[in-house]
Amino acid sequence: MPNNPQTAPVKITITLPTNAYFLSGIRDFTITMTKNVTGFSDQWAFRFQSVVDELCNNAIEHGSVSGQEIKITFLSVPQKELEIMVEDSGTGPNKYTATQMREVFEKQKKIVQNQFLGLRGRGLAKIVAEWTDELIFEDREGGGLRVRAIKYLHPEDSVLAVNTQNQPQTASIILQPVHA
Amino acid sequence: MTYANISIEDLPTDQADRVVKIIKISGQLDESNVDEQSKTIYQLIEANPKNLYLIFNFAELEYLNSKAIGYLTDWYGKISAEGGKIAIAMAKDNITDILSVVGLTQLITCYLTLDEAKLGIMQ
Repeated sequence: MPNNPQTAPVKITITLPTNAYFLSGIRDFTITMTKNVTGFSDQWAFRFQSVVDELCNNAIEHGSVSGQEIKITFLSVPQKELEIMVEDSGTGPNKYTATQMREVFEKQKKIVQNQFLGLRGRGLAKIVAEWTDELIFEDREGGGLRVRAIKYLHPEDSVLAVNTQNQPQTASIILQPVHA
Repeated sequence: MTYANISIEDLPTDQADRVVKIIKISGQLDESNVDEQSKTIYQLIEANPKNLYLIFNFAELEYLNSKAIGYLTDWYGKISAEGGKIAIAMAKDNITDILSVVGLTQLITCYLTLDEAKLGIMQ
Protein backbone atom coordinates (compact mmCIF):
# COMPACT_ATOMS: atom_id res chain seq x y z
CA MET A 1 0.00 0.00 0.00
CA PRO A 2 2.65 2.64 0.77
CA ASN A 3 4.10 2.12 -2.73
CA ASN A 4 0.76 2.37 -4.48
CA PRO A 5 -1.66 4.29 -2.31
CA GLN A 6 -5.32 4.02 -3.21
CA THR A 7 -6.85 7.44 -3.79
CA ALA A 8 -10.42 6.79 -5.00
CA PRO A 9 -13.04 7.43 -2.27
CA VAL A 10 -14.46 4.34 -0.61
CA LYS A 11 -17.93 4.23 0.97
CA ILE A 12 -19.05 1.30 3.10
CA THR A 13 -22.42 1.13 4.84
CA ILE A 14 -23.35 -1.46 7.45
CA THR A 15 -26.76 -1.88 9.06
CA LEU A 16 -26.90 -3.52 12.47
CA PRO A 17 -29.65 -4.65 14.84
CA THR A 18 -29.71 -2.62 18.06
CA ASN A 19 -27.77 -5.15 20.07
CA ALA A 20 -24.34 -4.62 21.60
CA TYR A 21 -23.51 -8.24 20.74
CA PHE A 22 -22.63 -7.22 17.17
CA LEU A 23 -20.26 -4.39 18.06
CA SER A 24 -17.12 -6.52 18.43
CA GLY A 25 -17.46 -7.44 14.75
CA ILE A 26 -17.79 -3.78 13.79
CA ARG A 27 -14.70 -2.94 15.84
CA ASP A 28 -12.70 -5.65 14.04
CA PHE A 29 -13.96 -4.38 10.70
CA THR A 30 -13.00 -0.80 11.58
CA ILE A 31 -9.41 -1.80 12.33
CA THR A 32 -9.07 -3.81 9.11
CA MET A 33 -10.69 -1.13 6.98
CA THR A 34 -8.58 1.66 8.46
CA LYS A 35 -5.34 -0.26 7.96
CA ASN A 36 -6.12 -1.27 4.38
CA VAL A 37 -7.99 1.66 2.90
CA THR A 38 -7.49 4.98 4.62
CA GLY A 39 -3.76 5.68 4.91
CA PHE A 40 -4.04 6.25 8.68
CA SER A 41 -1.50 4.58 10.98
CA ASP A 42 -2.20 1.47 13.07
CA GLN A 43 -2.55 3.68 16.16
CA TRP A 44 -5.42 5.45 14.47
CA ALA A 45 -7.00 2.14 13.46
CA PHE A 46 -7.35 1.34 17.16
CA ARG A 47 -8.56 4.86 17.92
CA PHE A 48 -11.24 4.67 15.24
CA GLN A 49 -12.50 1.36 16.64
CA SER A 50 -13.17 3.21 19.90
CA VAL A 51 -14.84 6.12 18.09
CA VAL A 52 -17.14 3.74 16.17
CA ASP A 53 -17.91 1.69 19.29
CA GLU A 54 -18.81 4.75 21.37
CA LEU A 55 -20.98 6.27 18.61
CA CYS A 56 -22.81 2.97 18.12
CA ASN A 57 -23.33 2.49 21.87
CA ASN A 58 -24.85 5.97 22.09
CA ALA A 59 -27.12 5.27 19.12
CA ILE A 60 -28.28 1.98 20.65
CA GLU A 61 -28.68 3.36 24.17
CA HIS A 62 -30.42 6.61 23.32
CA GLY A 63 -31.67 6.57 19.75
CA SER A 64 -33.13 3.21 18.89
CA VAL A 65 -35.32 0.76 20.80
CA SER A 66 -34.63 -2.97 20.79
CA GLY A 67 -35.52 -4.61 17.49
CA GLN A 68 -34.66 -1.51 15.47
CA GLU A 69 -31.51 -0.85 13.48
CA ILE A 70 -28.60 1.55 13.41
CA LYS A 71 -26.63 2.39 10.28
CA ILE A 72 -22.87 2.90 10.20
CA THR A 73 -21.22 4.49 7.16
CA PHE A 74 -17.49 4.78 6.56
CA LEU A 75 -16.51 7.33 3.92
CA SER A 76 -12.80 7.25 3.27
CA VAL A 77 -10.93 9.57 0.98
CA PRO A 78 -7.61 7.69 1.13
CA GLN A 79 -4.59 9.71 2.20
CA LYS A 80 -6.92 12.60 3.04
CA GLU A 81 -9.76 11.95 5.51
CA LEU A 82 -12.10 9.42 7.10
CA GLU A 83 -15.71 10.16 7.98
CA ILE A 84 -17.63 7.84 10.29
CA MET A 85 -21.38 8.35 10.28
CA VAL A 86 -23.78 6.63 12.68
CA GLU A 87 -27.55 6.97 12.31
CA ASP A 88 -30.26 5.84 14.73
CA SER A 89 -33.97 5.41 14.17
CA GLY A 90 -35.11 8.02 16.71
CA THR A 91 -37.30 5.48 18.50
CA GLY A 92 -35.30 5.29 21.74
CA PRO A 93 -36.80 6.44 25.05
CA ASN A 94 -33.90 8.87 25.66
CA LYS A 95 -33.63 10.22 22.12
CA TYR A 96 -32.25 13.68 21.44
CA THR A 97 -32.66 16.16 18.62
CA ALA A 98 -29.45 17.39 17.00
CA THR A 99 -29.69 20.68 18.93
CA GLN A 100 -30.23 18.88 22.25
CA MET A 101 -27.39 16.49 21.49
CA ARG A 102 -25.00 19.36 20.75
CA GLU A 103 -25.98 21.01 24.07
CA VAL A 104 -25.48 17.76 26.01
CA PHE A 105 -22.14 17.22 24.28
CA GLU A 106 -20.83 20.74 24.98
CA LYS A 107 -21.93 20.56 28.63
CA GLN A 108 -20.32 17.15 29.14
CA LYS A 109 -17.12 18.28 27.43
CA LYS A 110 -16.71 20.96 30.10
CA ILE A 111 -17.35 18.45 32.89
CA VAL A 112 -14.74 15.95 31.69
CA GLN A 113 -12.09 18.61 31.02
CA ASN A 114 -10.79 18.41 34.57
CA GLN A 115 -10.05 15.30 36.60
CA PHE A 116 -13.36 13.53 36.16
CA LEU A 117 -14.28 10.65 38.48
CA GLY A 118 -17.80 9.97 37.20
CA LEU A 119 -18.93 6.60 35.94
CA ARG A 120 -20.34 7.73 32.59
CA GLY A 121 -19.87 10.51 30.06
CA ARG A 122 -16.41 9.99 28.56
CA GLY A 123 -17.45 8.26 25.34
CA LEU A 124 -18.61 11.15 23.21
CA ALA A 125 -17.21 14.07 25.21
CA LYS A 126 -13.69 12.74 25.56
CA ILE A 127 -12.87 9.76 23.33
CA VAL A 128 -14.81 10.80 20.22
CA ALA A 129 -14.13 14.52 20.74
CA GLU A 130 -10.37 14.06 21.17
CA TRP A 131 -9.96 11.68 18.25
CA THR A 132 -11.94 13.53 15.59
CA ASP A 133 -11.50 16.95 13.97
CA GLU A 134 -15.19 17.63 13.34
CA LEU A 135 -18.26 16.28 15.09
CA ILE A 136 -21.58 17.10 13.46
CA PHE A 137 -25.06 16.30 14.79
CA GLU A 138 -27.93 16.27 12.28
CA ASP A 139 -31.62 15.47 12.47
CA ARG A 140 -32.60 12.80 9.98
CA GLU A 141 -35.62 13.23 7.74
CA GLY A 142 -38.26 10.92 9.13
CA GLY A 143 -36.78 10.94 12.64
CA GLY A 144 -33.58 9.95 14.32
CA LEU A 145 -30.14 11.40 14.71
CA ARG A 146 -27.12 11.32 12.45
CA VAL A 147 -23.69 11.82 14.03
CA ARG A 148 -20.78 12.50 11.68
CA ALA A 149 -17.24 12.23 12.99
CA ILE A 150 -14.58 13.44 10.57
CA LYS A 151 -10.83 13.00 10.96
CA TYR A 152 -8.37 14.54 8.53
CA LEU A 153 -5.14 12.72 7.81
CA HIS A 154 -2.31 14.87 9.11
CA PRO A 155 1.20 13.85 8.01
CA GLU A 156 2.16 12.60 11.48
CA ASP A 157 -0.91 10.32 11.60
CA SER A 158 -0.16 8.63 8.31
CA VAL A 159 0.96 5.05 7.91
CA LEU A 160 3.59 6.43 5.54
CA ALA A 161 5.05 8.55 8.35
CA VAL A 162 5.17 5.56 10.68
CA ASN A 163 6.74 3.33 8.03
CA THR A 164 9.33 5.98 7.25
CA GLN A 165 10.22 6.22 10.95
CA ASN A 166 10.45 2.50 11.50
CA GLN A 167 12.10 1.29 8.34
CA PRO A 168 15.59 1.81 6.98
CA GLN A 169 15.86 4.77 4.66
CA THR A 170 17.66 2.69 2.02
CA ALA A 171 17.44 -0.93 1.04
CA SER A 172 19.05 -3.12 -1.56
CA ILE A 173 17.52 -6.12 -3.23
CA ILE A 174 19.78 -8.25 -5.39
CA LEU A 175 18.15 -10.59 -7.85
CA GLN A 176 20.31 -13.37 -9.15
CA PRO A 177 19.46 -15.96 -11.78
CA VAL A 178 19.04 -19.46 -10.46
CA HIS A 179 21.22 -22.00 -12.22
CA ALA A 180 19.99 -25.55 -12.32
CA MET B 1 -21.57 -11.70 24.35
CA THR B 2 -17.98 -10.63 23.71
CA TYR B 3 -15.34 -12.78 25.43
CA ALA B 4 -13.79 -11.44 28.62
CA ASN B 5 -12.39 -13.20 31.65
CA ILE B 6 -11.28 -12.01 35.07
CA SER B 7 -9.03 -14.08 37.29
CA ILE B 8 -7.82 -13.05 40.74
CA GLU B 9 -4.55 -14.10 42.34
CA ASP B 10 -3.40 -13.35 45.89
CA LEU B 11 0.00 -11.74 46.20
CA PRO B 12 1.70 -12.66 49.49
CA THR B 13 2.96 -9.67 51.47
CA ASP B 14 4.79 -9.25 54.76
CA GLN B 15 2.60 -6.25 55.58
CA ALA B 16 -0.28 -7.78 57.48
CA ASP B 17 -2.59 -4.80 57.17
CA ARG B 18 -2.62 -5.00 53.38
CA VAL B 19 -4.57 -7.21 51.01
CA VAL B 20 -2.74 -7.39 47.69
CA LYS B 21 -4.21 -9.04 44.61
CA ILE B 22 -3.42 -9.32 40.93
CA ILE B 23 -6.47 -9.00 38.71
CA LYS B 24 -5.88 -10.44 35.26
CA ILE B 25 -8.39 -9.32 32.67
CA SER B 26 -8.29 -10.91 29.24
CA GLY B 27 -10.42 -10.41 26.14
CA GLN B 28 -12.52 -7.33 25.47
CA LEU B 29 -14.58 -5.26 27.90
CA ASP B 30 -17.45 -3.71 25.98
CA GLU B 31 -21.12 -2.84 26.31
CA SER B 32 -22.17 -6.49 26.01
CA ASN B 33 -20.23 -7.75 29.05
CA VAL B 34 -18.77 -4.97 31.18
CA ASP B 35 -21.67 -4.63 33.64
CA GLU B 36 -21.55 -8.36 34.39
CA GLN B 37 -17.76 -8.56 34.60
CA SER B 38 -17.46 -5.52 36.87
CA LYS B 39 -19.50 -7.26 39.58
CA THR B 40 -16.49 -9.47 40.34
CA ILE B 41 -14.39 -6.44 41.27
CA TYR B 42 -17.15 -4.77 43.27
CA GLN B 43 -17.55 -8.01 45.26
CA LEU B 44 -13.81 -8.03 45.90
CA ILE B 45 -13.91 -4.42 47.14
CA GLU B 46 -16.88 -5.17 49.38
CA ALA B 47 -15.10 -8.18 50.86
CA ASN B 48 -11.90 -6.15 51.48
CA PRO B 49 -13.04 -2.62 52.29
CA LYS B 50 -9.75 -1.39 53.83
CA ASN B 51 -6.18 -1.25 52.50
CA LEU B 52 -6.89 -3.14 49.30
CA TYR B 53 -4.04 -3.09 46.77
CA LEU B 54 -4.96 -4.15 43.25
CA ILE B 55 -2.64 -4.66 40.30
CA PHE B 56 -4.55 -4.95 37.04
CA ASN B 57 -2.65 -7.19 34.64
CA PHE B 58 -3.82 -5.98 31.23
CA ALA B 59 -1.38 -8.05 29.15
CA GLU B 60 -4.24 -9.94 27.51
CA LEU B 61 -6.80 -7.15 27.47
CA GLU B 62 -7.56 -6.28 23.85
CA TYR B 63 -10.17 -3.55 24.24
CA LEU B 64 -12.06 -1.54 26.82
CA ASN B 65 -14.83 0.98 26.23
CA SER B 66 -15.71 4.18 28.05
CA LYS B 67 -18.01 2.38 30.48
CA ALA B 68 -15.18 0.04 31.51
CA ILE B 69 -13.00 3.12 32.05
CA GLY B 70 -15.79 4.56 34.20
CA TYR B 71 -15.78 1.43 36.37
CA LEU B 72 -11.99 1.54 36.65
CA THR B 73 -12.23 5.15 37.84
CA ASP B 74 -14.93 4.21 40.34
CA TRP B 75 -12.80 1.37 41.75
CA TYR B 76 -9.89 3.80 42.04
CA GLY B 77 -12.08 6.23 44.01
CA LYS B 78 -13.45 3.59 46.36
CA ILE B 79 -10.12 1.86 47.02
CA SER B 80 -7.97 4.97 47.44
CA ALA B 81 -10.56 6.48 49.82
CA GLU B 82 -9.99 3.50 52.13
CA GLY B 83 -6.21 3.50 52.14
CA GLY B 84 -5.65 1.20 49.18
CA LYS B 85 -3.99 1.58 45.81
CA ILE B 86 -4.51 0.58 42.19
CA ALA B 87 -1.90 0.02 39.49
CA ILE B 88 -1.99 -1.19 35.91
CA ALA B 89 0.62 -3.50 34.39
CA MET B 90 1.57 -4.62 30.89
CA ALA B 91 -1.21 -2.80 29.03
CA LYS B 92 -1.03 -2.89 25.24
CA ASP B 93 -0.39 0.39 23.40
CA ASN B 94 -4.03 0.86 22.38
CA ILE B 95 -5.17 0.39 25.98
CA THR B 96 -2.62 2.87 27.34
CA ASP B 97 -3.62 5.27 24.56
CA ILE B 98 -7.30 5.30 25.53
CA LEU B 99 -6.54 5.48 29.26
CA SER B 100 -4.30 8.43 28.52
CA VAL B 101 -6.83 10.31 26.39
CA VAL B 102 -9.43 10.20 29.17
CA GLY B 103 -6.84 11.30 31.75
CA LEU B 104 -6.84 8.10 33.78
CA THR B 105 -3.06 7.67 33.54
CA GLN B 106 -2.81 10.79 35.71
CA LEU B 107 -4.63 8.92 38.48
CA ILE B 108 -3.44 5.35 38.04
CA THR B 109 0.17 4.52 37.23
CA CYS B 110 0.74 2.19 34.28
CA TYR B 111 3.81 -0.06 34.58
CA LEU B 112 5.48 -1.92 31.76
CA THR B 113 6.00 -5.11 33.76
CA LEU B 114 4.26 -6.92 36.59
CA ASP B 115 7.39 -6.76 38.73
CA GLU B 116 7.57 -2.99 38.37
CA ALA B 117 3.90 -2.75 39.30
CA LYS B 118 4.44 -4.88 42.40
CA LEU B 119 7.34 -2.71 43.50
CA GLY B 120 5.52 0.52 42.67
CA ILE B 121 2.26 -0.29 44.41
CA MET B 122 3.93 -1.49 47.61
CA GLN B 123 5.98 1.68 48.10
